[in-house]
Amino acid sequence: MGVLALVFTGFLALLFIRLWFVQLAVGAEWALQADLNIVSVDSVAAPRGNIVDRTGFLLAASEPRLVIEVDRAVLPIEVEDDVIQRLAAILDASPLEVREEVERAGSGQTAPLTGFEVDPDTAYLVLEQRANLPGVTVQTLPVRGYLRGGLMGHVLGHIGLPSLDDLENQPWLDSNTPVGKLGVELEYDDFLQGTPGRVAYRVNPDGDILEEVGSLDPVQGSTLWLTLDAAAQTVVEGVLVEAIDLANLLKEEQEQENPDRAVLPAERAAAVVMEIETGAVLAMASYPTFEPQAFVGGIDVAAFEELSSRRAFNNLVIQGLKPPASTFKAVPYVAALEEDIFPQGVSSPEETIECSPQLAADFVDASQLVWRNWTYPAADGRQNLHDAFRRSCNIYFWEIALSIWRSYARTEQEGIIQEWARSFGFGRDTQVDLPFENEGILGDRQLFEDWRQNQPWRVRREGWQGGDLMNLVVGQGAVLSTPLQLAVAYASIMNGGVVVQPRVADRLESPEGDRVRTLERRVLRTVDIRPETVASLRADLAAVVSSGTARQAFEGMGTLASLVGGKTGTAQAFTDQDGVFHDATAWFVGVAPINDPRWVVVVMVDEGGSGGAVAAPAARAVFQHLFGVGVTPLAAGEDTER
Amino acid sequence: MAVDGAVEGVGGLFRDRPKPAPDVIMFILMAGLLALGTVMVYSATHVRLEAETGDPAAAMRRQMLFAGAALAAFILGSIIDYRHYRRMIFVIYGVTVAVLAAVLFFPPIQGASRWIPLGSFRFQPSEFAKVALLVVLAGLLAVRPGGALSWKRLASACALTAAPGVLVFRQPDLGTVVVIGVIAIGVLFAAGTNTKQMAVLLAAGAGGTAAVLRLDILRTYQAQRLAGFFDQTADLQGVNWNLYQSQIAIGSGQLFGRGLFQGTQTRLNFIPSQTTDFIFTAVGEQLGFVGAAAVIIVYAVLIWRILLVAALTTDPFGTLIAVGMASMLAFHVFINIGMTVGLVPVTGLPLPFVSAGGSAMIAMAGGLGVVNSIWRVRTALRISDIPRE
Repeated sequence: MGVLALVFTGFLALLFIRLWFVQLAVGAEWALQADLNIVSVDSVAAPRGNIVDRTGFLLAASEPRLVIEVDRAVLPIEVEDDVIQRLAAILDASPLEVREEVERAGSGQTAPLTGFEVDPDTAYLVLEQRANLPGVTVQTLPVRGYLRGGLMGHVLGHIGLPSLDDLENQPWLDSNTPVGKLGVELEYDDFLQGTPGRVAYRVNPDGDILEEVGSLDPVQGSTLWLTLDAAAQTVVEGVLVEAIDLANLLKEEQEQENPDRAVLPAERAAAVVMEIETGAVLAMASYPTFEPQAFVGGIDVAAFEELSSRRAFNNLVIQGLKPPASTFKAVPYVAALEEDIFPQGVSSPEETIECSPQLAADFVDASQLVWRNWTYPAADGRQNLHDAFRRSCNIYFWEIALSIWRSYARTEQEGIIQEWARSFGFGRDTQVDLPFENEGILGDRQLFEDWRQNQPWRVRREGWQGGDLMNLVVGQGAVLSTPLQLAVAYASIMNGGVVVQPRVADRLESPEGDRVRTLERRVLRTVDIRPETVASLRADLAAVVSSGTARQAFEGMGTLASLVGGKTGTAQAFTDQDGVFHDATAWFVGVAPINDPRWVVVVMVDEGGSGGAVAAPAARAVFQHLFGVGVTPLAAGEDTER
Repeated sequence: MAVDGAVEGVGGLFRDRPKPAPDVIMFILMAGLLALGTVMVYSATHVRLEAETGDPAAAMRRQMLFAGAALAAFILGSIIDYRHYRRMIFVIYGVTVAVLAAVLFFPPIQGASRWIPLGSFRFQPSEFAKVALLVVLAGLLAVRPGGALSWKRLASACALTAAPGVLVFRQPDLGTVVVIGVIAIGVLFAAGTNTKQMAVLLAAGAGGTAAVLRLDILRTYQAQRLAGFFDQTADLQGVNWNLYQSQIAIGSGQLFGRGLFQGTQTRLNFIPSQTTDFIFTAVGEQLGFVGAAAVIIVYAVLIWRILLVAALTTDPFGTLIAVGMASMLAFHVFINIGMTVGLVPVTGLPLPFVSAGGSAMIAMAGGLGVVNSIWRVRTALRISDIPRE
């Protein structure tokens, strides 16, 4: 009996020890678990921050909207089809569309059907049929609303549900709450997102809600103040469409004269207006464009593919790479004055040479040997540096390249032009506060060597040659830049060498109007240029408009034209491998007021033809708006530089 | 029989023979456990019942009814002189086996044929079979007090145990099979098995367990519970849900408990089978370590009282019944509480006198009444024995 008593006591003692452990040693942890057990926390989506222009004009807001939600965890899979059919009937939509939205959420997740407008009557219908619609609820969700259609589409960007990558990188994201995907919506997403609210419910083990135990209201994201001006943007966007029409009109005229040559229509154009001193972008437009609202609630596949095929999502201002053509001549112009490099036999910027119809350069390599000026077969008279800039005489600039080649070929100094160009921002990021910027190309011996190693189809076996440098000084060949890079380069020179980061955002404020962050003017680097050089370039830019290649384009502006300086550019037309003739890219870079530069305006029309004929008149219209005078319709300028 | 005669003789000889006194402590402990069970069942059901039927006390009333029946069974067991059973052991055995066989023909509930429906009640024969079997085994083995047990008798005891064991296994009710084995081993041990015999018994038990595991005759849920026990952090939403929620409930009670009717685990029904197999979680959560330890102490005292009866009676039949009861109670308490705190795998054994369920409560109370009957006879014996010595 004693043995039995001992055995039983031993077992009961074991229970004691275990109880001691569970209740006293780690009891506090179990108590916490017990509390968590009965609380279910729901996330309440925060309204995205508003986006306004520099005057406070509301561009994008967040509006509470009735949204039907389908909780796929509650909806039994075997009745999913029925429920989708019923919802489609209520929403007056096809079951296919409804299914697409439902299935955007993973199985077991909640799908907000943001693609469907739900008015209170529809919401009532849904609630009435609740018994037949398991897992279906009507919620009030904040939904992004873009109030100005496609205005500033590329700058605003768009939103979309977070991708798997997004969710992995930012684990706090809710898979049903959209995030920024493009433009400032992406760039400033962290600020715009806001802070989701929380509601904690007491629940039973079946998940039925018993009562609310606490809540934290969501906080709307910060208001993003852009540097852009809606009025200027409206003008610029309109002008781009006009410029494309103008270019196509000129093509038609040419086609009548020369019917054998098939010409592609102009379809794409871009323009940017930037404050020289601050880098603040006043307007940034790219055509074709898109309406950000199409992405709210998910864009449908057909619409997306249509926009995609037209490359409408490309913001050409920061992504469109084209040879800058003669607009690039400002760089060799500055280099010539700063480094005292002139054509052979010339020792000052005032000394002239003959701007002959063509130039023969006897390189010992495979480079092109005969170079024709755009005036070919005519000569353009004797010209010094200033005349050459004004008349866009390639001969003069080629001679500069030849001088460099003769003195410095295969030494460090042979890249002197590229060094100047790089310091002004060619071939590198402008660091604008927009995603997916293209850094462009600025060719030199090193780059060609890299290409020869890695992408041999892009370059000749011989590598970097004198002819490549000749091409480069006139903005052709191995130099590709975005309109924004040109704007930054000209602004930097006008600033006396201060390179400022361009930006589209000015500041972020809390919804109550308290300052969250100010995006200060940021100097990226300073380039040493003598004030005389800057003054000289200003004068010659003014001369381009008053008496050079852009004179005709600015005639419509009257006396105000004297306040504008600028440079036309016409990137060489070419015929591609398929035999399709590509028209030149038309460029104009304008600066005003030229005596104390405040704005730089860059206009680029892809397949647009002559810079003087098409891009310069467009820039003229933009300057009219900036000067506060009425914008007059575009009229073709002088067809130059072809 | 000598002892029988002595008692009868004593009864007739002394006018001042004290009334055969019941074990009041035993009665109070049992009644206390029944009361605790009633309160715990209420705490675990009133919120849900209120919401579902508007009658929060329905489950508690049923429990009180059973508690009353259990008290009646105890009193009945106490009044009837246990020695009568000795003559009837083969009748008892026959009825037990017949009913255990009959239950297999009733439609299964939740996959097991354990119950015989009687109106709004469900009669669970295996609960009575445990008590009946220990009486039968005691009757079979209580022949020579203090003497050695023959191999032949050992074999017949095993054979008697095997029949109900197999029938219960077919239900299936593995927990009860093990209880039957434990009762048999306890009674055999007290009946004077030698070391060799005990070793053979334990080896047979171990071999049987191994066979059950190896021969793949466990039901899927049984195997899963076993696997869940060996990895208690796995599948908390599935096979280990019960154990996990049970430990949350008991652990969160900490020292003094969350207070009666306060624990969220109990109030909100996080623990399946909480009124039956997992009733101890309601104790642990609401009354804390202090309350839970008190309950274990109550059982310890109860088992001590039973062992005292076994030790003090001179009738080997009484001794063996008491040892069988003590073994059964101790095993139930250890397994039931042990499983709620993750000490042993989850098995469906009720906590004696506390878990909801009439059959177990009535059978055990009746069994305890039999022990009390032994005590009363022993009381008469001892007082009368004094002048004899």
